[in-house]
Amino acid sequence: MWDWLGLPEQASAHAARMDQFIGLVHVIIISGFMFWFTWFLIALAKHRKVKNPEADYTGIKGKWPYLPVCVMVFFDFALLFGLSIPFWHDEINAVPLDDANVVDVRVVGKRFDWMVHYPGPDGVYGRTDISFINSAMDRHVGLDPDDPAGKDDIETLGVLYLPVNRQALVRLGTQDVIHSMNLPEFRVKHDAIPGMRIPVYFTPTVTTEEFKIRMGDEERDFEIACAQLCGNSHYGMRGRIIILSDEEFQAWIAAEVEKKASYDEEDDWLFDD
Amino acid sequence: MNNKIMRSVFTLSFCALGAVWVLVGCGASDTKSGNVVEAGSITGKVVWEGNAPAMRARSVDADPACVKMHANDPLMTEHLLVGDDGAFANIFIQVVSPIPKGDYPVPTEPVILSQQGCQYTPHVFVVRKGQELAIQNPDAILHNIHFMPKKNIEFNKAMSKDKKEISFTPDKAESMFTIKCDVHSWMQAFCAVLDHPFYAVTGKDGKFSIDNLPPGEYEIEAWHEIPRLESRRAKVVVKDGEDTELNFSFSKPTRK
Amino acid sequence: MASEKKPGFIRRYIFSTDHKVIGIQYGITAAAFLLIGFTLVLLMRWQLAYPGAGVPGLGWISEKNAFMPEGQVQDDFYNSLGAMHGTIMVFLAIVPLLLGGFGNYFVPLQIGAKEMAFPHLNMLSFWLYLAGGLVMLSTFLLPTGPPNSGWTSYPPLSIIADQGQTFWLIGMALIINSSLMGNLNIIATVMQLRAPGMSFFRMPFFVWTQFVAAFLLLLAFPPLEAAAILQLSDRLLETSFFLPSGLAVSGVPIEVSGGGSALLWQHLFWFLAHPEVYVLVLPAMGIVAEIITNNTRRPLWGYKGMAFAACFLGFFSCMIWAHHMYLTGMGTTINAIFEITTLTVSIPSLVIMTSLVATLWGGSIRFTVPMLFALAYLPMFGIGGFTGLPLALATSDVHLHDTYYVLGHFHYLIAPGTIFAIFAGIYHWFPKLTGKKMNDVLGHLHFWPSLIFMNGIFFSMLITGLADVSRRLADGGEMYAHAQDVLFLNKVMSHSAFGLAFVQSFFIINLVWTLAKSEKLESANPWDATTLEWSTESGLTVHRSPYEYSVPGATADFTPQYEAEVN
Repeated sequence: MWDWLGLPEQASAHAARMDQFIGLVHVIIISGFMFWFTWFLIALAKHRKVKNPEADYTGIKGKWPYLPVCVMVFFDFALLFGLSIPFWHDEINAVPLDDANVVDVRVVGKRFDWMVHYPGPDGVYGRTDISFINSAMDRHVGLDPDDPAGKDDIETLGVLYLPVNRQALVRLGTQDVIHSMNLPEFRVKHDAIPGMRIPVYFTPTVTTEEFKIRMGDEERDFEIACAQLCGNSHYGMRGRIIILSDEEFQAWIAAEVEKKASYDEEDDWLFDD
Repeated sequence: MNNKIMRSVFTLSFCALGAVWVLVGCGASDTKSGNVVEAGSITGKVVWEGNAPAMRARSVDADPACVKMHANDPLMTEHLLVGDDGAFANIFIQVVSPIPKGDYPVPTEPVILSQQGCQYTPHVFVVRKGQELAIQNPDAILHNIHFMPKKNIEFNKAMSKDKKEISFTPDKAESMFTIKCDVHSWMQAFCAVLDHPFYAVTGKDGKFSIDNLPPGEYEIEAWHEIPRLESRRAKVVVKDGEDTELNFSFSKPTRK
Repeated sequence: MASEKKPGFIRRYIFSTDHKVIGIQYGITAAAFLLIGFTLVLLMRWQLAYPGAGVPGLGWISEKNAFMPEGQVQDDFYNSLGAMHGTIMVFLAIVPLLLGGFGNYFVPLQIGAKEMAFPHLNMLSFWLYLAGGLVMLSTFLLPTGPPNSGWTSYPPLSIIADQGQTFWLIGMALIINSSLMGNLNIIATVMQLRAPGMSFFRMPFFVWTQFVAAFLLLLAFPPLEAAAILQLSDRLLETSFFLPSGLAVSGVPIEVSGGGSALLWQHLFWFLAHPEVYVLVLPAMGIVAEIITNNTRRPLWGYKGMAFAACFLGFFSCMIWAHHMYLTGMGTTINAIFEITTLTVSIPSLVIMTSLVATLWGGSIRFTVPMLFALAYLPMFGIGGFTGLPLALATSDVHLHDTYYVLGHFHYLIAPGTIFAIFAGIYHWFPKLTGKKMNDVLGHLHFWPSLIFMNGIFFSMLITGLADVSRRLADGGEMYAHAQDVLFLNKVMSHSAFGLAFVQSFFIINLVWTLAKSEKLESANPWDATTLEWSTESGLTVHRSPYEYSVPGATADFTPQYEAEVN
């Protein structure tokens, strides 16, 4: 119904509701504009000097031109209280946490890539500190190697894996400047503010595989875009978000945990200063 | 940050230096040093003793273009490259003191740092002070080159897919500093800027050679990128017309 | 007793305290900045349409140049161009043209004052503005180039940025001080120096808008100046007003005391920058109102309502700034509050626009060149204003924030909005300044293509924005799969921009040719206007409302304000 707006594909539980809202707002503003514009054109045609050589000092009597203003304002506030504030409450700010199924993951922006940090099967994030960062050895978020809670944590760079139909709780942060995580198909966008870790909720409803089929393009992926200027490669700060089936996601987590466990602790000295 | 005002002065001075370099460089020869009547050399090998930590395949998922480039040939980590018989690559060898006095014209050809296969080649290298460093982008994807020197000007430039080359000419000598790509965070290289030609970087065979040294006693240093592997130093005597052997060995540090 | 010596050239035209000379100084300087700002964006638009290709005609630039080797816009420089385009257009071109140019020249004339309240302060304000502008422009000569953290200069990016950002902050301090002096002057002049009989509700609407705009800037600029000094301190003195602890750039920890807040800057910045955009908008509405009433030969409909609306707009616009920050982690309640205030502030704009359209009804409309621009202003401002609604509502803003939709929205308001109003004002008041009228044919050649090209550029932006193409992307979105379908619009926008640039030449030719060649008009009031600035006498008394056109029972179709009797 809202195809004419040219919005991206819908891939999350709240996407349809958001698109409906965007569509309604545009219907209202287009109608409003057409009303004023039509009145404007008729005025020009009817009252051009050739047609109306003597102007009327009083012009429009009474106050009725204020009426369309009132109508417009009414629709504005109806949209606000009826739809916008409830949406924000339900889908963004006071989202009920689905304790059993939620996937908790940290996404940390940095110039110019997205780092992803899963707490692993124990559900507890290992301690992180910038002093532990060692990108050349794929230690991007700065996990403390001595923290037992971090032993099963999983890090990826540039790719966020999530299971379909399960609530995702992305704890959004940044290591350096302000970034903004934009997941176009999921209708998710939020600024990453230094010093803050902000919860972002959404539920993916389309797997990457389905998406590829829908778009008819094997190489097509859901994307993470940066939506706040962060420097000279801001335009290249592109990540991917890959939606797997629940089984595939569990299998991936297990594989990553195993891979990490297979690293020889004997080699930990490599990371010390 | 409060260096910034100073930096503009330095920038102007390296433009002037660049001009002088052009004039001098035009007349320079390709050899590393000037005319030395009596000269010897130091050759040797650097080895790793014991079991070397395994290098492993990296995930380059962050950039699908890199994934494509490494579809059949995974990109390996390279922080400790040990070959056959313990041959230790990427060790930077330099004469610490004394630096023989002489006229060491700066080579006219640039040193080339290539961003290929989402990796820097070479991984460890030296540029002479006043020599051009040509940073190339055969990958033809967005790379971001971030130099983090202590004395030269820090710079961070995006090289878009159309950008084939950026050049940088350091105007200050300094020891090994890090170069990173801010788009592909695993990419790392190390660079030193020297104002003399008495250095080498070991290749896969672990071997190095420093030539044209006037006779005398020298202190030589072998450096590796991992901070826990402290640099090894050794004194060596160079005789005229002779090749003195000097070997270094590294191993896993004992204290944790 | 010594006789009065006529002041020399320097005192009369360079360091002058005459509000008309200062107005022209502001006007010419600001117009030059407008041209510079436009040129910068044309470079950007070339890069966006043809990424990696050198700008034609600039291939001679050395390949070692840091900004545009062989004419190719580098990624850092693209961001510099963007930041400077925004800064120059907002702070150095539009506001100085509107307030410093039109305001200085016409406010005293329209209220029948002999001079501004503080002529020396006025002169100082111009030179501070010029100094600030030159500091900004000098950044092009720095080795690391102009500032590139956006005109919004958000920390921490702006704090780790290169040298140019320091100059930006200093330039802003100079510009803000200049503006504060100018605003003080306008307010004092309007309050104290109105001619006898010129009550507040007999002032032309143009003066109302200048008055409100001056208040807005006077109250809103100081927090930004304070913030700029705090940011300078963070950059130069290693303080941490805007830097929290625990940050690392490229894996290297930033050494700062920490404990600051990046959001603090955003609040201080937007506290100014939102009212700032109403300063960009209000005087333009004022100019358009003057021209519409003059060319419809009837009074402004709902003049009093418009005046109240302008005041309400000014006051309320100080309470809506955080709608720029919906996505920074604010909760439902705070978002709702700012959504409510933002929607409320659309009411006075709607009132003013509606009144202007209502003014047309019953008029006898003359389609002079200034009227064409003034008329086009209405629907263009309308599109800009209406597209503000999806952005004002936080829900749709989630999708549209920091996309090209935002660019389309505000450019509609400022480009075919305010800039058209400025053109209208120049065509309209040219005879007052020079005694000559600009050529109509060239005026049409300027207007019609400009209107078409403006829409070509900015309507396309609304489309790419809905497709979620982010702004400030040096490659125009090429790297993103979700942007591919609308990428062709980058070329549409750029070609329209080049076309727009070309047709401005008709305006420039018109200006120069009219000044050089045209004959002076016989009448000092060629548009048959009612307001005081068209009179050539001084010491006027005001007898009536400002827009007494087509007064019933009068012979002439206009009765000037200073006319004692109706003819």
